[in-house]
Amino acid sequence: MAAPLVLVAEDDATIRETLCDELAAAGYRTMRAADGRDAISAFQNAAPDLVLTDIAMPNGDGFRVIASIRQRDRTPIIVLSVLGGESDKVRALDLGADDYVTKPFSVSELLARVRTQLRRGAPHGAVLEFNELTIDRERRLVREGGREVHLTPTELAILELLATNAGKPVSSREIARRVWESGEATPDTVRVHVGSLRRKLEREPSVPKYIVTEPWVGYRFIAEPK
Amino acid sequence: MKRPARGAAILLSLLAVGVTTAGTRLAGANPPTAGFLFLLVVLFSATVGGLAAGIAASLAATIAFNYFFFPPIHTFHVADPENWVALAVFLVVSVVASRLVTAARTQANRAGARATEVQTLYDLSVELFLAASSAESLADAAARALAATGAEGGGVVLFEPDGDRRLGWIGSPPGETVRERAASIRIHRRTLEFPSRDVRDLYVPILPAGATGGVLVALGTPATRAAVESTARLLTLAMEREQLLGQRAHVEALRESESMKTALLRAVSHDLATPLTAITMQVASLARQLSGQSAARTVGVLAEEVARLRRRIDNLLAMARLETGSIAPRPEPIPAPDLFRAARENLGGPFSAAGFDVQVALDCPDVFADPSLALEIIVNLVENARRASPDGAPIQLVADRHPDDPAMVRLGVLDRGPGIVLDATELDAAEVRPRGLGLEIARRFAEASGGAVVLAPRPGGGTSAWLDLPVASSEEGGKHGRAARPGR
Repeated sequence: MAAPLVLVAEDDATIRETLCDELAAAGYRTMRAADGRDAISAFQNAAPDLVLTDIAMPNGDGFRVIASIRQRDRTPIIVLSVLGGESDKVRALDLGADDYVTKPFSVSELLARVRTQLRRGAPHGAVLEFNELTIDRERRLVREGGREVHLTPTELAILELLATNAGKPVSSREIARRVWESGEATPDTVRVHVGSLRRKLEREPSVPKYIVTEPWVGYRFIAEPK
Repeated sequence: MKRPARGAAILLSLLAVGVTTAGTRLAGANPPTAGFLFLLVVLFSATVGGLAAGIAASLAATIAFNYFFFPPIHTFHVADPENWVALAVFLVVSVVASRLVTAARTQANRAGARATEVQTLYDLSVELFLAASSAESLADAAARALAATGAEGGGVVLFEPDGDRRLGWIGSPPGETVRERAASIRIHRRTLEFPSRDVRDLYVPILPAGATGGVLVALGTPATRAAVESTARLLTLAMEREQLLGQRAHVEALRESESMKTALLRAVSHDLATPLTAITMQVASLARQLSGQSAARTVGVLAEEVARLRRRIDNLLAMARLETGSIAPRPEPIPAPDLFRAARENLGGPFSAAGFDVQVALDCPDVFADPSLALEIIVNLVENARRASPDGAPIQLVADRHPDDPAMVRLGVLDRGPGIVLDATELDAAEVRPRGLGLEIARRFAEASGGAVVLAPRPGGGTSAWLDLPVASSEEGGKHGRAARPGR
């Protein structure tokens, strides 16, 4: 099987070239785009396996790139955002982006995100398995480190949503929409239930292994799937 | 048209009656013709000479009419009683006509005066709102308006903290009485009016909002009180406008300087972040390509120093942004373990391997803070602790409710370094203010988050750096504890 192809859309030449070098060194094939228009046409021509895109670019920004890609398929998209650009992150997630890293990011962090996104996409079975955590969706059973964790239906629904999106930030708004279909939940409601879920799930709450907050955005499930 | 003096008017009207009598006698006019001519003279006298002249002419004409035209002529005797009626009617008609004519004339004169006042006020308003700017020129314009409406003297007295100041004064300088009356407006704040015959002295308060008040003085003015009060109101408005224009200019200057600062910060931020991102990535690239332990160590140090430089620059820019108010803290609930985890990840490099001992109390509430500020505070405190710690000594990260303040969470970064050196003034203090750039940044960020950073000697050796942050309310949908105070 050929190495995954990654499209890098970034207008700063140094960052773009270094990114491509690092991705190549990590075993990926890469292609470059210097602006939004280039990125969209490169995507159409080459059908990459993953897209890394900057937000602020000439000739069509990152949002347009995300929207254009999401009209066609579910190819993973990681956004390169800047410090303080939380509203950009939420907007990118709403448009269908899968993750983001904040500039200046470390290469190892970015490569970890790329691996996570490329691994996703496999359909989720009835049982979600992580190192010490098993979520049996049909029997509604959760086991962590050999013990059974008793969750309320709401907590289980949140856990399922986060675990099926492992590695991907999920906004509080999306949790509220997907778990409380009536639309009555606020980010505060979500916070209270996630807090309770974390207390039950984490054996060592001081050092969380499963769920962490994403500042201003929501939550991320961090355990690696088996 | 100027009215002649009353005596002269009466004499002239009598003369006119005499001339008319002589004329009608010489021409041999019949009594009705003579009567109409006399009536004409009465009306003319009243129009030109006023009511007194009109009445004098009426009486003289009645007498002459009787003497020369009613039989028996050349006597004041009237034989036919009907002629008495005619004579009485003539007298009444001429007197009434005189009064009417005089009233009409007075009305016309008043209307003329009002027209002059209105024109003067209009001219003044145009002048005040188009040209004038300083208090002096406003007062000059008001004084010119007073003069135009016929005032003998007056102007503006401004009430200033160090005494009254006269502006735009016309006529002779004010005497003691005028000065005292003007000063009394400071307290009474109501119009004072002192009428005398056809003219009046008026003292009208000028009370602009947000500017020094004063009084408009009009001495011996024939203008109405309403006109002078309108002048004062115009002056008040003009002063308020000047005040507002001054404030707006100030605000605009401030805004311009703030937006320049923000633009400068953004440019500096971008121009520094881009090359630093590139350097960071190049260093990572170099680290991968190099082989050999010493080269890897050198690159590792390089990466660490670049990361620290980057963080320092980010911190300083964030501090500048907080100070200019171009960003305000955006607090949200954060669990303490997440904060510690993010700090450990953020430090990376050699710190990731360093031992951390994390202890968060089970019932420790979430903090309510801006996540990026809170993270930077912890990172700066950990860096500081790390530099002080002997190799291999773990840094303890703890979090619990504040022992004394239930509205705060106390997060601690505890090291086993040499401890803090206290100033003589701090020897007795249990906690001291942090020193050094990293700690200063931590302190400022904590204050901007509604919290505080304090250092204290750690029992058993080392330093305890405490960060107190507001508790996030645990009630569903409730308020978030104590709101963060904006940075200063």
